[in-house]
Amino acid sequence: MNLPKLKIGNLVAKLPVIQGGMGIGVSLSKLSSAVANEGGIGIISGAQTGFREKNFRTDNNRANVNGIIKEIKKARNLSPNGILGINILKASNNYFELVKTAVKEKIDLIISGAGLPIKLPSFVKNTKTKIVPIISSGRAAKLITKVWKKRYDYLPDAIVVEGKKAGGHLGFKKKDLDNNSIKPLKEIVKDVINVINPFEQKHNQKIPIIAAGGIYTGEDIKDFLEIGASGVQMATRFVAAEECDADIEFKKAYINATKEDICFIESPVGMPGRVIKNHFVEKYTNNNLDSVDSCYKCLKRCNPKTALFCITDALIKAVNGDTENGLIFIGENGYRVNKISTVKEIFEDIKKSFDLKKEKLNSLI
Amino acid sequence: MDKKILETVKELTAEQLGIEVDEVNEKSSFIDDLGADSLDTMELVLALEDEFGIEISDEETEKLKTVADAVKYIEDNK
Repeated sequence: MNLPKLKIGNLVAKLPVIQGGMGIGVSLSKLSSAVANEGGIGIISGAQTGFREKNFRTDNNRANVNGIIKEIKKARNLSPNGILGINILKASNNYFELVKTAVKEKIDLIISGAGLPIKLPSFVKNTKTKIVPIISSGRAAKLITKVWKKRYDYLPDAIVVEGKKAGGHLGFKKKDLDNNSIKPLKEIVKDVINVINPFEQKHNQKIPIIAAGGIYTGEDIKDFLEIGASGVQMATRFVAAEECDADIEFKKAYINATKEDICFIESPVGMPGRVIKNHFVEKYTNNNLDSVDSCYKCLKRCNPKTALFCITDALIKAVNGDTENGLIFIGENGYRVNKISTVKEIFEDIKKSFDLKKEKLNSLI
Repeated sequence: MDKKILETVKELTAEQLGIEVDEVNEKSSFIDDLGADSLDTMELVLALEDEFGIEISDEETEKLKTVADAVKYIEDNK
């Protein structure tokens, strides 16, 4: 088996790899277009995309709308024929306006997690934009599919299943992560396939399942294709790409991180987030952070009065290169990133390890 | 309050959350008292819609905090 194509409706990616959206500002037009040009699906982060706009602090909503328009246009210029998407957090306060903006800019697909994007289908009816929810259980996959079908007569164009090894915010409770009670991603993917299959049969429509969280090599991809996934989403692997939009210091923080440097913090929105230990995380652990004195009102569940820190400011510091005083999200396998390479080289390496696994299997037969 | 609707809502709630019907009363808050999460809430809304042949919008869903809120909504919209 060669690396198969990934079909999402009428979109056909040459490689079954979606580059996961990374915010704030880590995956923008440069990284997403590079991935799209190599045959994967490139995803722009829709989290505070306007962070470089002059009015970011004074008119956050407008700045983000402009940021999204600019990044989509730039990415489309760099990759006229590639498949480009955007990841928009359901938890964003101006979620619907961001979604409308991306649809207006004719983005190929919208990936949306951090909450159940119940109303998403109403924004793409009669457009070419595909919509893909991110969920972390078979139960959530069934629920969103059932609700979309019932309310909007719409089935998800694909579903991203995100497990516990992903970077940044996770859709699991901290206590369940601590006592190891979360199923391995493979089990969750199988659960999702089982609950989605009846919908596919009944409505005669394929719903591709995309595995995400901790996927790093071609061998990993093969493992998930073998259990019935149609593709994978990978993010961490692309951070040290030359084309990645983050500052070089951010990439170096990935390269220098060891397994022991990767830990969890509780984000101001009450979800656990996987990060690289640094000066900021130390201050957080010692309860020694400065109080939050201003607020962008960016996330629905964040309260500046009780938040220990402003996640927007912390993430922007990091992506701009202040990797000691900023917050660096990373996936569980982030310590394996050990050099700067081009997106093309990363894909070549992925293809090589996919083929290697094929040979290993053949030699066993 | 319509006793029959109340009983049905209590039963569906208990079934959805995997608890005993006795643990649910009309003042129970789905999230604060009964421990429902966002998936539970959405599933319960779907079950109520099927049972009573109504539609509950997302905005309304957010307002339905207690069993009594749900019963009142059903009475008004049935």
